[in-house]
Amino acid sequence: MLHIDIPSRKEVIEKAKSEGKKIAAIYPIHYPRELFRSFNIQPIEVWGPPKTDTKKANAHLQSYICSVVQSGLAFYLEKQLDIADIIAVPHSCDSLQGLGSIFKDFINPKHELITIYLPREKNKENVEFLSNELKRIYKQLSEFCGFSPSSEKLMEEIKKEEEIDEIVDKLYRIRENLPLSSRGFYAILRSREYLSPDEFKSKLEYILLHASKGRLKKTGVVFSGLLPEPMEIFDIIDEMDCFVAMDDMACCMRRVYGKGNSDDPFERMAERIVNGPPDPTKGNSFNERFGFLKSLIEISGAKGIVFYNVKFCEPEYFYHPILKEKLSKAGIKSLIIETDINEPISQQTITRIKAFTEMLRENEQ
Amino acid sequence: MNLRDSIKYLFSYKIAGETFIKLNTKKAFKNFKPPKSWRTDILAPPLKTGVYTKEIIAKHYLEGRYVNGVKPVAWVTSGAPIEILKALGFYILYPENHGALCGARKAALEISEEAEKKGYSMDICSYARTDIGSILSKKTPVGKLPKPDLLLCCTNICQTVLYWYRVLAEYYKVPLIVIDTPFVYDEAKEHDIEYVKKQLEASIDVSEMVAKKSLSFTKLKEIVKLSKMAAELWLEIMSSNKNIPSPISVFDQFIHMAPIVEKRGDAVTVDFYSKMLKEIKERIKNGIGAVKNEKKRVLWDNLPIWYKIKFLSEFLAEHGVSVVASTYTNAWGELAPMMDIERPIESMARTYTYPILNRGTGHKLKTMEMMVKEFDLDGAILHSDRSCKPYSVGQVDQRLKLLNELGAAALLLEADHNDPRAFSDEQSKSRLKAFVEMME
Ligand code: SF4
Ligand code: SF4
Repeated sequence: MLHIDIPSRKEVIEKAKSEGKKIAAIYPIHYPRELFRSFNIQPIEVWGPPKTDTKKANAHLQSYICSVVQSGLAFYLEKQLDIADIIAVPHSCDSLQGLGSIFKDFINPKHELITIYLPREKNKENVEFLSNELKRIYKQLSEFCGFSPSSEKLMEEIKKEEEIDEIVDKLYRIRENLPLSSRGFYAILRSREYLSPDEFKSKLEYILLHASKGRLKKTGVVFSGLLPEPMEIFDIIDEMDCFVAMDDMACCMRRVYGKGNSDDPFERMAERIVNGPPDPTKGNSFNERFGFLKSLIEISGAKGIVFYNVKFCEPEYFYHPILKEKLSKAGIKSLIIETDINEPISQQTITRIKAFTEMLRENEQ
Repeated sequence: MNLRDSIKYLFSYKIAGETFIKLNTKKAFKNFKPPKSWRTDILAPPLKTGVYTKEIIAKHYLEGRYVNGVKPVAWVTSGAPIEILKALGFYILYPENHGALCGARKAALEISEEAEKKGYSMDICSYARTDIGSILSKKTPVGKLPKPDLLLCCTNICQTVLYWYRVLAEYYKVPLIVIDTPFVYDEAKEHDIEYVKKQLEASIDVSEMVAKKSLSFTKLKEIVKLSKMAAELWLEIMSSNKNIPSPISVFDQFIHMAPIVEKRGDAVTVDFYSKMLKEIKERIKNGIGAVKNEKKRVLWDNLPIWYKIKFLSEFLAEHGVSVVASTYTNAWGELAPMMDIERPIESMARTYTYPILNRGTGHKLKTMEMMVKEFDLDGAILHSDRSCKPYSVGQVDQRLKLLNELGAAALLLEADHNDPRAFSDEQSKSRLKAFVEMME
């Protein structure tokens, strides 16, 4: 298996700081990396992190708020984000909306606070709205940074991201030829959450160089949900002679946006997000989501889908029953697992994953 | 319009049903007395005009039984801009109101379990579970719900409704209009309002197509006018609680708010709240308080706990506590001044972007602080509603601020608006008791 060194978030932050960059701590899910980059800001995403002690968050949040938001806040309260200059909270769901609001009204961080409202439908008006919203943020960042990057600079950063999205898409398509474990593959994909585009791209190109002509002789599964935490979940799948062949995760595939068409940088960034892959937090229709999942199965040759859901995550919950039924009618097996990103994987989860992957393997033989 | 359905509608609803309900109201009004279980030792008698609440709601659901094939039917979220649909002659059903009714009649749990059996998580909003459970099982205390021809979902209360209405669209295979309202962290930006306005304009085409007729702007203005008038009356009713003792309690408001939610834009609602206001003024004149021995005055934040209204109302009244103001009931009145009859679409765009649930946690605190001052309150009960994240997130801080900065007693009461499994009688009693003691 291929081994690729990935610097830690801390190392990346220190390096960025030494290069005079500002740091933006960004909460899930959708935002234009390119907009921040054009201001010489390094976006560092805050997906939890997992295994955080969330006691401190109790001073602001009730226990029925998901572990991603609990950890995200506790992490801030532990002063782990003090290194950042900016905090950005995209409006992904009611709980993140609440987090953004608590930050603004009660916590008053010393950081520059940016909220991003994301429109929910795929249409022209929504592209226009998001483009205006991004212009508002551009203005806020200009005031904060003391300069305004040109349209050319914005376009340059957009194109970098588009190119990376293209390579990621290619890697997904040849996933079974890549000499990487599930965990190894996703550790690299997820390093996009904090690496600079050049560094991330070089890792991807390195993998491409090592794409073998052979094929992983394992049974593929599609992994769906917000994020694969704790990441050990992948080891369990791999141990069963299976592998994650494709995903429908908010931290990965759901943010592999297509190219924009517009020559206006704001409109182009908006197009990419609005027209991106379906995502429960965007409220896409069941047909869109089902069609997308089916296409993931077809492209990857995976044999089933694991829905890995963070407890209390309403956007995901609402889709499960009908999606499961549609998938079953299409002959696609699926399993729903619930997780708390701060808890170790339970024995029950391990048993269920094992039983599910075993069944997929048997069906394949 | 289908002829058989129309005849059925005419006889069963218009002729027999309405007449029967009206007669019942007349009788109830004439022989008005509190129900046997009413605690007249601690509470004022219920409002006499309350018999009309029952009438309006009974008629509404009865009409719903026979309306398919006669009028176009829309299912909408509670804060949705319904004026366009009203002007096009839609019958409008509010699944949340139906959910509340199931909750108040203690039927929500059984119905929700039908949804849970089909895989809907216990951790999704209990209104959604009640609604989906009712669709799957056909169980409802109102007999039968009409099928929708159109769905209208406005995100100005939460994002949850977006996913919930996707489920409805999937079951019913009818068009879904989404009016997405950007969350207002402090002030809405011009592009936010423009975005909402464009969506409202776009919704007209779809609504007209379903209604098979064109929108009359004269009719729309008329509806906006009635909507505004009803909301203003509702606001006045709530403001009358500034009086000491408070003439009605928030628990009364919970019961009598159904028309302002469900029948906004109807002349009957304006008439109803005018009557109610008159009765309330009469109470004020006679020094009647909702709680007989009003010693302390408090605020209610968040949704009602529908299945525990009686319990809470009596427990608090026993201790001389009157719940006189609420951020929740206030939401249906506070935006009335924003409605502009001459510029219906523009003003609707602004009005429907600004409900309290679409505004930041700091704004909600300011609203509560304002109420504490204006209603001369001693404390606040913040219902931490497990189901409703947008309403509940922020309450931990809001409670502390009320306590520390205003010196008001403040209680975070853990429950769920429709799911009794999240409520413990004993625990709540002891927490409420401590809260009352804190005010003494
Ligand atoms: S896990 Fe779900 S509820 Fe939590 S922040 Fe993510 S989208 Fe929101
Ligand atoms: S989450 Fe709250 S606002 Fe949304 S439907 Fe449920 S109770 Fe209403």
